[in-house]
Amino acid sequence: MARVNLLACAGILAAVLLNLLAGRHPFSVPELLAALAGETVPGVSFMLWEDRLPQAAVGILAGAAFGASGAIFQRMLRNPLASPDVIGVGYGASAAAVAGMLLFGAQGLGLSLIACAGALAVALLIYSIAEAGKNTGPRLILAGIAVAAMLQSVIQYLLTRTDVRTAGDALRWLTGSLSASTWERASLLAAALAILFPLLVPAAAKLRILELGDDTAAGLGLKVRSTRLGLILLGVGLCAVATAVTGPLAFVAFLAGPLALRLCKGRSHLGSAALTGALLVTTATFLAANILPDIQLPVGVVTGALGAPFLIWVLVRTNKEGT
Amino acid sequence: MALLEAQDLTLAYDAVSIVDELSLALPAGEVTIIVGANGCGKSTLLRGLARLLKPAGGKVLLDGEDIHSRPAREVAKMLGLLPQTPTAPDGITVRELIGRGRYPHQGWFKRWTSEDEAAVERAMTLTSTTGLAERPVDELSGGQRQRVWIAMALAQETELLLLDEPTTYLDVAHQLEVLDVISELNRTRGTTVVIVLHDLNLAARYADHLIALKEGKIVAAGHPAAVVTEAMVKNVFGMPCRVIPDPVAGTPLVLPIGRHRVLRAETVLAANGIHRTQNPDADLDAGPAPVQGPQAGTQEVQARATAADPGSNTPAGEGIERAEEISDMLAFATKVVRIEPIGENFRRLTLAGKDLEHFGAGDAPLDLRIKLMFTPDMDPAGGGDQLPAAFESLRPGALLSRADATGWYRRWLALPAESRGVMRTYTVRALREAGHRDNCGSEPEIDIDFVLHLRTDGGKLTGGPATVWAAQARLGDPILLLGPNAALCGADYGGIEFRPGTAKRILLAGDETAAPAICSILESLPAGITGHALIEVPDTGDIQGSSTRSGVSVQWLPRGSHPHGELLAAAVRDIVAIPAAGAVLTGAEPEDVDIDEQILWETSTASTQPFYAWLAGEASVIKDMRRYLVRDAGMDRKQVAFMGYWRRGKSET
Ligand SMILES: Cc1cc2nc3c(=O)[nH]c(=O)nc-3n(C[C@H](O)[C@H](O)[C@H](O)COP(=O)(O)OP(=O)(O)OC[C@H]3O[C@@H](n4cnc5c(N)ncnc54)[C@H](O)[C@@H]3O)c2cc1C
Repeated sequence: MARVNLLACAGILAAVLLNLLAGRHPFSVPELLAALAGETVPGVSFMLWEDRLPQAAVGILAGAAFGASGAIFQRMLRNPLASPDVIGVGYGASAAAVAGMLLFGAQGLGLSLIACAGALAVALLIYSIAEAGKNTGPRLILAGIAVAAMLQSVIQYLLTRTDVRTAGDALRWLTGSLSASTWERASLLAAALAILFPLLVPAAAKLRILELGDDTAAGLGLKVRSTRLGLILLGVGLCAVATAVTGPLAFVAFLAGPLALRLCKGRSHLGSAALTGALLVTTATFLAANILPDIQLPVGVVTGALGAPFLIWVLVRTNKEGT
Repeated sequence: MALLEAQDLTLAYDAVSIVDELSLALPAGEVTIIVGANGCGKSTLLRGLARLLKPAGGKVLLDGEDIHSRPAREVAKMLGLLPQTPTAPDGITVRELIGRGRYPHQGWFKRWTSEDEAAVERAMTLTSTTGLAERPVDELSGGQRQRVWIAMALAQETELLLLDEPTTYLDVAHQLEVLDVISELNRTRGTTVVIVLHDLNLAARYADHLIALKEGKIVAAGHPAAVVTEAMVKNVFGMPCRVIPDPVAGTPLVLPIGRHRVLRAETVLAANGIHRTQNPDADLDAGPAPVQGPQAGTQEVQARATAADPGSNTPAGEGIERAEEISDMLAFATKVVRIEPIGENFRRLTLAGKDLEHFGAGDAPLDLRIKLMFTPDMDPAGGGDQLPAAFESLRPGALLSRADATGWYRRWLALPAESRGVMRTYTVRALREAGHRDNCGSEPEIDIDFVLHLRTDGGKLTGGPATVWAAQARLGDPILLLGPNAALCGADYGGIEFRPGTAKRILLAGDETAAPAICSILESLPAGITGHALIEVPDTGDIQGSSTRSGVSVQWLPRGSHPHGELLAAAVRDIVAIPAAGAVLTGAEPEDVDIDEQILWETSTASTQPFYAWLAGEASVIKDMRRYLVRDAGMDRKQVAFMGYWRRGKSET
């Protein structure tokens, strides 16, 4: 597992460097080193410090947040489908953000807070629907999918009601992109994650017990309901702060957990999922910038393209297993 | 030692109460097993006791304190739980899973300690999972996996352990394996264990304390031996059953009675059945089977034809022949050669005589019956020591006509009552040919076991004539015996009633008068036959050693102060179940036999059933059992023999 984590870090670094050195408008190594050392290299320094680096920083942080958030949900509900982007938490953030953007012209920190609030509201709604009986896990997923569908139509409705220019901004945000990344946003995200990430340690310990089933966990002295609520809040928090900054990067949360599980040969860990999320986003950034000769795609398009086939595969497999 | 109690506990899901104002205290250091039908609330009760469900009323006390008011982790250090279907995360190894049982002992920042490690090792040793430690849990067999889960609960090191159906989905061997581990744990660590189990027999075997639940209430609680009764099982599971001692563990064993496959015949019509109600000795009167020539009842031929040549074989017809050549039944003159008390109320007399060389019916004595003649002639007190003269012509070597060979019984009955004496039926307990190493002399011998039903009235022994004779018999006393002629009687001789046909399971039941017959049947049964022999005797002092090569289990029932036949009837009911109500067409009511007027005698010869029952004894006792077996248990009368050996208050006639 430690090896996998190390490899993921190396991969992240490689993807970032590749994006700087081999991507669109590449820098040369000496230019890059000079600019990094603080010299002012015309045409390079600004690009590097004001665009590429904050973009990389936001990508890494958001990817990690999505990855950890997805893994928390998936493990808690013992279902790969249970990631926040599938069960509607992501849509909660999106719907709130789009509404804020279009109706109140919200931006920056305000937008982030609105997105968080939306995600949280949706999460609590889903949880209260699901908690009202037995079989919390599967019910939570179903309730989430229903809420997601509802929120999507809300978003569609909001978009059709506004003028084309603002709707365009909102749409770009909705596909998820790192292009608007600034140091300000990166530090905002970093600050939020500085609070949330340490909580992953106790969360992981409790997840290990919760995984054994609600009754076993209760028998071991875990307060199942409050633990589950705490984990949901943590997962939603991680997902929401990242969404607020980058927009919903489609399927990163969904992909990171299972991918990490595969890389670690079945022995996963929230940390590995976070690193895998970061790796996914940085790689997707490079692909998004370079895959088509003259258009730069939003990152969300690439992650979406990667995630969709995987979702189908998961659905087919679950169907076969009959669970 | 932590104590767990429930006080007026009510548990409900969505306002539907499953467990209703239930109170119990779990005996510390014992294994308590909760049983009950599906949906009786047993798992719910366990969840309630394990604080997984908040009570809708009442409370659960752990060491006297409400379990819900204590911190969860603290409770988890005292009380472990293994739920019905725990889930193992993908890919987790055995050691890691067991290690998770240490969770309550670890704080937020307290890391894995050597104490945790030691607890995991102990748990693995106790459950024999050490060898599996590094294997992924998904790869284990059901039994292994369940042991691992138990190990996880053990690693928690609690004084109380609650397990919900720990044996579901396991095959029998693994069920025992798991329960053995649990009782081992109880014995070595003194852990108080509570198990919800659906298998009543395993519950009865492994529980120190059994709780039977029905509709959320306790119906019975206590030691399994006291709690598991037919009535309880019927009440709790709605299932008629028999409860017998478990031959392995001695605990109660419940044998369910379903709708089919119950020990009985297909209720084939009594009309078809081979049964008769008639004098068993009518055939004695009928004489030898192939009677040819004129039936000359009037043509009296001198029985003791002195002139006849013993060597000449006159052909069939009106001629005179040797008795052993034409008569199935012969009269044998014998003397008492040994007297042996074989029980409080039994006396064995060994009779010997040269005549007995002609006695026999095939090899197996089985329940071979004979008649003994008691006449005034032979009463030593009356001065006589002669054998009754009326039967001289039936002795081996005597000459008689075919007509006389058949008419003797009638002739005997025609004699004046005072002089003809009485005839009594007994069983040949053993027959030893001349030269047998157990013989007293050189002649063949017969053992007869007499039941001494006697009272002393004013210093004088009173009882039936046969019994009084037997009680007072001395060595050398003569006695005339009527029985089968070895030359003409084979294994199908009518004086043998034990005819199991192809049956592999048998039931032998009788009172003390049938004891000699049952014992000799047992001795000649081959291996491979199984079943039961039930013998009711007056006293414990009457229990005799009985040997058999077969798998038939023998049970002596000393009557003590019980009424005659009560214990026997109860034991028969235990062994032959009544099918569940409505499951079969119950047998037709057997036609009534007035046992005071007639002899109850229904036997069969051609059973092809797998089961055969043979019952003999006092007529009213047999009549009751006949009614039970034929009507209530629906037994086919082709597979039974009912024999009234004697009738209370009536002399044998
Ligand atoms: C096929 C067959 C085999 C038999 N084998 C044996 C055998 O091996 N050994 C044996 O001891 N008996 C055997 N009996 C039973 C025996 O024939 C009767 O017990 C018989 O009545 C005894 O004769 P008795 O002269 O002593 O009494 P009876 O003159 O016939 O009767 C006198 C009184 O004693 C009562 N009485 C008879 N028997 C008993 C008893 N056992 N207990 C209490 N009261 C009794 C009678 O009801 C009556 O009131 C057998 C019977 C049959 C039909």
